[in-house]
Amino acid sequence: MVKRLLAASAFALGLSAFAQTQIEFWTYYLSPNFDNYIKGTIADFEKENPTIKVRWVDKQDTMERDLTAAVALGRAPDVVNLWQDSTFAAAQNRILTPITQLVNRNVLNQLYYPNVLDIFVTEGQVYGLPWYGWLDQGVMMYNPDLLQRAGVDVRTIRNTDDLLAASEKIKKATGAYGWLPPVKDPNGASFLGRFFLEGLPVYDKDGKAAFNSPAHIALLQKYVDAMKNDAIPQELLRKEAFQLSNELYSQGKAAIVVGAPTTLNRVKEANPDLYARTRIAPAPLGKAGIQTGGAMSLVVPRASKNQSAAIRFALFVTSRTNQVKFANVVPIVSTAAGSENDPGLRARSNDPLEIGKGMNSASGRLINPGFKPPKNTDDIYKNFNDNIEAAFLGRKSAKQALDDAVAFWNANAK
Amino acid sequence: MKRKAFAITLIAYGFLAPALVLMGLFTFYPVFYGSYLGFTDYTVADLASGEGPQWVGFKNIQFVLGDPLFQTGVLNSLKYLLVVPLLQIASLAVAVLVNQKLPLMAFFRVGYYIPVVTSISLAAVMWEWIFQKEGFLNWSLQLLNVLNSEGRFNWLLNENTALWAIMLVTFWRGFGYYMVLYLAGLQSIPAELEEAATLDGANAWQRFWLIIVPLMRPTLLLCSLLSTIAAIRVLEEIIVFTGGSGGPLNSTYTALLYVYNKSWGNMLNANFGVAGAAGLLIALVGFALSYVNFRLTREERSER
Repeated sequence: MVKRLLAASAFALGLSAFAQTQIEFWTYYLSPNFDNYIKGTIADFEKENPTIKVRWVDKQDTMERDLTAAVALGRAPDVVNLWQDSTFAAAQNRILTPITQLVNRNVLNQLYYPNVLDIFVTEGQVYGLPWYGWLDQGVMMYNPDLLQRAGVDVRTIRNTDDLLAASEKIKKATGAYGWLPPVKDPNGASFLGRFFLEGLPVYDKDGKAAFNSPAHIALLQKYVDAMKNDAIPQELLRKEAFQLSNELYSQGKAAIVVGAPTTLNRVKEANPDLYARTRIAPAPLGKAGIQTGGAMSLVVPRASKNQSAAIRFALFVTSRTNQVKFANVVPIVSTAAGSENDPGLRARSNDPLEIGKGMNSASGRLINPGFKPPKNTDDIYKNFNDNIEAAFLGRKSAKQALDDAVAFWNANAK
Repeated sequence: MKRKAFAITLIAYGFLAPALVLMGLFTFYPVFYGSYLGFTDYTVADLASGEGPQWVGFKNIQFVLGDPLFQTGVLNSLKYLLVVPLLQIASLAVAVLVNQKLPLMAFFRVGYYIPVVTSISLAAVMWEWIFQKEGFLNWSLQLLNVLNSEGRFNWLLNENTALWAIMLVTFWRGFGYYMVLYLAGLQSIPAELEEAATLDGANAWQRFWLIIVPLMRPTLLLCSLLSTIAAIRVLEEIIVFTGGSGGPLNSTYTALLYVYNKSWGNMLNANFGVAGAAGLLIALVGFALSYVNFRLTREERSER
């Protein structure tokens, strides 16, 4: 009797396994803040696809480590949220399934902004579905009291040169900093971004590094001088500009933050009064007149055993409907095509975050991914940042620093 | 009789077994496998595609030895060793002080131990305030007229001071731990010895150098060894204070940060072969220093 019962239950289990596919979905730093949104999206998906069950895991700073370990152990997750640099690295190391093997490229072109889709193309193949995006410049958030005390009219700040000039004025008049530009963030090579935004090329036409022209040197020198005069803080060499801006703005020690309106979430928590007084304006751009930015991706590891269910889910999460919903929880930039006309992305009140959403979330078509990183990225960026740091600390001239960085780059980019 | 001895041995091993299995699995196996990887070509791409490590002999060791960044790292780690004698002398001295039977001593003992149990990220916030340009350290130096307001600087952003500043944090964090070990050692010194010395007219300084220090030698050596190894392997502080960059200008780039950056720092570009080779070389330095430590004790022992 017992044997028969066991056999029956084993049979039933087998049947349900047949009827149900379970997939594992890893996100990056989204819990606990966005639990409701993610759980809601999963529930919607499971309702539409009763044969697929989604198990959600939120990974934080161990994401890449865990992913490599899971793949090596044969227990790969099915859908993973990576950011653009890690998507590139994972694709290079052949960890990912080319999305184009699962979905036709023409379909992808219709679903997402082509400029964003391009970010995830490596060697002619798409490796990630674009999920939520951001614009590095985004919007300009400012503390009107500090600007007023310094006699700075916000309408006169139209480009990055104006921003630097205003920062100098604000620092002199109030003691607070103005704008905190990323010059040497720990990840990536921020100053290359500065070149790019000012319309200065990173590569020459043969693909060699070429950022040591007199114009490049003059630009670096301008920022070096700004730091020397304490118009921008030296701490920028040690801390991410985003983090430092957040800290100092919330304390009233910085007047301007240029970036994604999501920054305001932290200000709202840390200093609600300042949040209420914060004003928003369009972001001043560099001479190139472009907005750099990027996006998160959803990828399917090659080792995933449920690739068709995985891609079905990834398409669902990155669909316009779900990205617009996400933007209404937190002002991300939707990367789904057609978002610029989506009524769900307009500001509905005078709250700074709502205004930010209205100015920002529908601008996915403006995301410019900048330049492609070189191969051997880690070593090359490390050397670049070391040289930039030497220039800022006065140990090398701007020319020497850029010459050295270009030489190392061209010798080591394989 | 023999059988009984055998049974006792067996039981002893039985008790040891759980710990031995765990150590074997989580200490010895990784040590041997990591050392083996140092002689192989093994990257994330190999790992993901299920290809095993390829034996390449001394190629990685050669690469690491020739890498200027690793050389900088080893030099900085060796500089870091300077924290060891200072830390040991200070914690022994304070252990002697708080070993007195005076009111409020328990309070001091706990106080000195608090940094040991404080998380490094929390401690970092405090120390950043101390080291910044408008921070406590510069303020104190200005009060003492060592520095004027023009000369103020951020201690973590000057390549001549950053490593020393971080060493101070290590000192602060390790101090209480070694003090407790010394306290335990001090309790085992018979009170009669000190009393006899006092009767013979020895002053406090003589009692410290001629009675406490010699009797504390085993503890001193244990603590020196522990802190030497800890100094060679310093990593947490560097990551927290420099965001893993080892800046400014690589002045805080330590040997272990090199290993970390080649493996865990950016996992998707990890090169386990190079990281393993570098780890092996650091272990060799650690062994050499431990050997020096042991040699010093042995001579002292034979003297007695």
